[in-house]
Amino acid sequence: MRIIAEHPWIFISIFLFLALLLICCLIRAIKGPTIADRVVAVNMMGTIVMVIIAMLAVYMNESYLLDICLIYAMISFLAVVVLTKIYSGVYLEKIANERKEDRS
Amino acid sequence: MILIEWIQFIAGIIFLLTGLFVFAVQVFGVFKFNYVLNRMHAAAMGDTLGIGISLVGLIILSGWNFASFKMALIIVFLWNASPISSHLIARLEAMTNPHLEQHCEVEEGVTEHIWEDEQKAIIFADKEEK
Repeated sequence: MRIIAEHPWIFISIFLFLALLLICCLIRAIKGPTIADRVVAVNMMGTIVMVIIAMLAVYMNESYLLDICLIYAMISFLAVVVLTKIYSGVYLEKIANERKEDRS
Repeated sequence: MILIEWIQFIAGIIFLLTGLFVFAVQVFGVFKFNYVLNRMHAAAMGDTLGIGISLVGLIILSGWNFASFKMALIIVFLWNASPISSHLIARLEAMTNPHLEQHCEVEEGVTEHIWEDEQKAIIFADKEEK
């Protein structure tokens, strides 16, 4: 759009605000006491990065970036599914090992 | 013609700023609550409402073309995927936290069907000690 190209400071300030929110999400992911906390924070970061990519596609007027955004959505959903499966498996294995040590 | 362009621009920016406000509320809520299942309540808001309103603003800004169809596809995909990932995260938390009833009310027998046998033995031994 012509007006966006004439006033680039609007989109750049929105980008800076979203980057600030991303840093806050990163702090939550580092602080989070449980594993579910970290997975929630990673999911939030994925959502905010998707908005940034879609805004970049409008700002640069390149529609192929939206394909990247769609694939990013699918991969971040897949990451949540795989992480929850892995951590529940790790937890069950830990419990089985503790039981085995108690018995012996 | 210039007036229509300005109206389109201002409407798009207003929708985009509303989406940013929803994201800010989401991050604030995630820092305010003190347990995962409460935090997920705040975090799920940005996944549906925040990205929905932001992408509606970008659709208005980009006009009627193939790019706006792709953005609508992203919204539809996220509205389907976000409840599933929330369900999986809550299930992980209910599975790995043996002291769930300290944080929230748990009805008898609700979480038992996701536990394995060995886990059940540990949890019930824990309860008998009390």
